[in-house]
Amino acid sequence: MNMGSIKDDFKKTVCGQIELNPQGDDRFLVATPFRFSDGDHFVIALKKEGDGWVLTDEANSLMHLSYCMDVDVLEDEGNRKEIFDNSLSLFAVENRGGELVKPVVGDRFGDALFNFVQALMKVSDVSFLTRERVRSTFMEDLFAFLRKNIPPDRIQFNWKSDRDASGKYPVDARINHMRRPLFLYGVPHEDKMKDVTISLLTFEKWQLKFQSVAVFEDLQAMQKKPLARFLDVNDKPFSSFDDENKDRLSDYLREALEEA
Amino acid sequence: MRSLIQLSDVEIDSLIREPKTAPASLLPLRLIERNKHRRKDYPVSSTSGNEFVIAVRQAVPNPLNFSVILMYRVPGYNTLFRLCRYNGRHGKHTNEIEGNKIEDECHIHKATERYQKLGGDEEGFAIETTRYSDLNGAVQCLLADCGFAPPPPNPQGNLFAGTTP
Repeated sequence: MNMGSIKDDFKKTVCGQIELNPQGDDRFLVATPFRFSDGDHFVIALKKEGDGWVLTDEANSLMHLSYCMDVDVLEDEGNRKEIFDNSLSLFAVENRGGELVKPVVGDRFGDALFNFVQALMKVSDVSFLTRERVRSTFMEDLFAFLRKNIPPDRIQFNWKSDRDASGKYPVDARINHMRRPLFLYGVPHEDKMKDVTISLLTFEKWQLKFQSVAVFEDLQAMQKKPLARFLDVNDKPFSSFDDENKDRLSDYLREALEEA
Repeated sequence: MRSLIQLSDVEIDSLIREPKTAPASLLPLRLIERNKHRRKDYPVSSTSGNEFVIAVRQAVPNPLNFSVILMYRVPGYNTLFRLCRYNGRHGKHTNEIEGNKIEDECHIHKATERYQKLGGDEEGFAIETTRYSDLNGAVQCLLADCGFAPPPPNPQGNLFAGTTP
């Protein structure tokens, strides 16, 4: 294959897949071969705006990101917001309240399209910065640790209160036969921390007598505000489940069992 | 690039078919608007103890661009696994492995083992459908296909209230 035919193939493959489909007054859907990692193509619409034209994603990109991450974090300070904002500013794309828009300068429609596509690609990559989908053995390890350190007649796993008929507020492990039973939770991620916060507040409302213990897989990975809310209602947090903290947790549980 | 297979095809089918109860608050849909799309996540539990989520999304500028997703919380994992997704019309979809394209039509994504192996999203495979044409129809199809007991009767008699402007 010579250089000319390679160039022709590039043009045919890239340009040939770009279509402009009219949809309503002064609105066209721009079909491109560029897509998300689930196979859905980027949404790109060309719209008349005043005397000019804009390319818009019609709010699809952030909605698509919301399938796999909490897009509200893009409004908070942090790496993901920074990368998101930089992805847009690098290609002069505006975020209009969730709708990504690229004004077309003069009649440079092609330049605008390439810039817009590059911005959308970078934005879609933000999803890869969310928590890795790696299997964690944290909960299994924690449960094994509890089985080893607590006699079987003193512990109930996945305990539910009599007040909780629908089972919405399970406790990972209830350590019993003490004045105030220990409600122990493993916290591998932020969603679980938020769930536990709600459970503890519900138990308070029900006036259950208990003390709560939370063992985090990594407390430092939690966002500040949800963590602060959690720490307000939790009695005893352990920031990680490393060897040092395992010793502390072991001592803590032994003392609690002896006090009963 | 991910290479880990979280769920086999048999496990995916079993989880989709598993009997579940539709959340009482699901219908009529009352979505919250943020970032120019409407959304809400509905937790779903089953008698087996498995935890699911129905996620509903709809773009404000184009209400035909919507998604209704059944997700599964894989024990020990940090993220939700998307078992299937009922999409509206948002433009094209390409099945990377099969090489076929779906034009601007409603389509149903389904998680598969082979797309997990590919390293893309688990629900990268999709088929075109004419079974629904709007968001509420997509919700009904998901409930019918995914082992849900019929939703409770709607006292207002207007299943479609509160979804689109």
